[in-house]
Amino acid sequence: MIEQDDQLKEFYWYIDILQNVDVGLAVLDREYNIQLWNGFMENHSGHHPNSTKDKNLFELFPEIDKARFRSKAESVFLLQSSAFSSWEQRPYLFKFKTYRPITCTAPHMYQNTTIIPLVSTTGEVNHICVIVYDVTEEAMYKLRQENPQAISA
Amino acid sequence: MATPVLICDDSNMARKQCARSLPDGWPVDISFATNGEEGVEAIKEGKAELLLLDLNMPVMDGYEVLEAIRAQDLETMVVVISGDIQPEARSRVKQLGAIDFIKKPVDKEKLTGMLLDYGIIDAELMKAANTEADEPAKAAEPKSEVTAAPRQAVTEDTTITELDPQLRDCLQELSNVAMGQAGDMLARLLKVFVELPIPNVNLIEVSELCMAFASVEDFDETSGVCQGFIGSGISGEALLILNDSSFGDMAALLNYKGQLDDSAELEVLMDISNILVGAYLKGLAEQLDLHFSRGAPVVLGQHCDVTQLLQTKNQAWSRTLAIELSYAIEDYPIKCDLLLFFTEDSIPHLAHHASYLLDD
Repeated sequence: MIEQDDQLKEFYWYIDILQNVDVGLAVLDREYNIQLWNGFMENHSGHHPNSTKDKNLFELFPEIDKARFRSKAESVFLLQSSAFSSWEQRPYLFKFKTYRPITCTAPHMYQNTTIIPLVSTTGEVNHICVIVYDVTEEAMYKLRQENPQAISA
Repeated sequence: MATPVLICDDSNMARKQCARSLPDGWPVDISFATNGEEGVEAIKEGKAELLLLDLNMPVMDGYEVLEAIRAQDLETMVVVISGDIQPEARSRVKQLGAIDFIKKPVDKEKLTGMLLDYGIIDAELMKAANTEADEPAKAAEPKSEVTAAPRQAVTEDTTITELDPQLRDCLQELSNVAMGQAGDMLARLLKVFVELPIPNVNLIEVSELCMAFASVEDFDETSGVCQGFIGSGISGEALLILNDSSFGDMAALLNYKGQLDDSAELEVLMDISNILVGAYLKGLAEQLDLHFSRGAPVVLGQHCDVTQLLQTKNQAWSRTLAIELSYAIEDYPIKCDLLLFFTEDSIPHLAHHASYLLDD
């Protein structure tokens, strides 16, 4: 009984942490409909989880290059192995504002994204999780090094 | 006989909230005052058998009103209603003769309970009054010199040239409460009395950020840290600017041992910023019933001119809604400024969330 309580407590901690962690988490099904949307995604996109549940990712976010994202994600479904995308390849997946809209000169949030497979109890991958990292600071630093004139801060 | 009640607060929203929090069915004759000076005049005119008094006000603050009441031996019972929730503030006003202290935003039940406890209202009479038909027992609409501005529907207007005075007043009052919570935290941590300012709410040009802040311009050298926040369509940055000459005292109050070098100063700056920004945003979010994500804090600079700290080249925003809060610590030459900048496109969302509070 005590062990169960502890597990339940841990479970709630995990939920709380995932909701509040400063990283975006979105679970998608086979049809790219959104199944889970954490606090980071909610706050940066302005879309409440209730309004994203079962909504198609590409309809909600037309800025996403559908063909490219699909080819990447399909490989995750198929190979059951993670796929990565760096801000240097594509500056962002979701067009979010920077965290510091006033003092930061970036036009948008630079993002690294990782797609991980979510294996079901039967061993199939019917869902994937998109993890979005805000790497604006790092990107701005590197861009400044490369071209100090272009981005003066 | 209606009881003359005077509500003395510089915020229109706070005055209305306070008036709404008076017990139902209590026959009262409400008057309003927007600062201490008006308040004292109204007491002399016999408009305040009960005085509901704010502390932070321009012209003459709540403490000065309490002193004037005592010095001039004025006839009134004072209940302080304030966002300054430091235990020290509570004990000071009681020493100055206030019968009780209620924190903002006012809780109707608490106020009613307190008025019953002090015998200002009678439980039996209240019950009788409340069971009587829908007779407008409360002196209808408060007859006052302060006319409430007509409530406007929140418009999703993207080009905002001027800040709606009602929204400004509302943000000022929300900030007042949030700032009080942050000040209380700081006071507890440092074991000092924090002097709370009147929040300054303005719509300013981004290019003129530094000029807009009267209280920070004359600092010689400052250090600053900023932290972004976003949620429910509202985004912005919180900046904490500490006068470099304040570091010694601040470090001593925080019990930092060892030499006060750059990294130790940064530690102090980060600690103070975390407390003030965290508590302020929490207080604001709670009142507006929303939630913010906060990014990692970024050091803007150490030992530099404030214009350097606030230098910005972001062309995306021409205007920003700025809230300036200057905290001072009693008996110490410490000054630190908390600045909140909201993006222009956050303003309609702020107005929308605030409209729930402004609804009668």
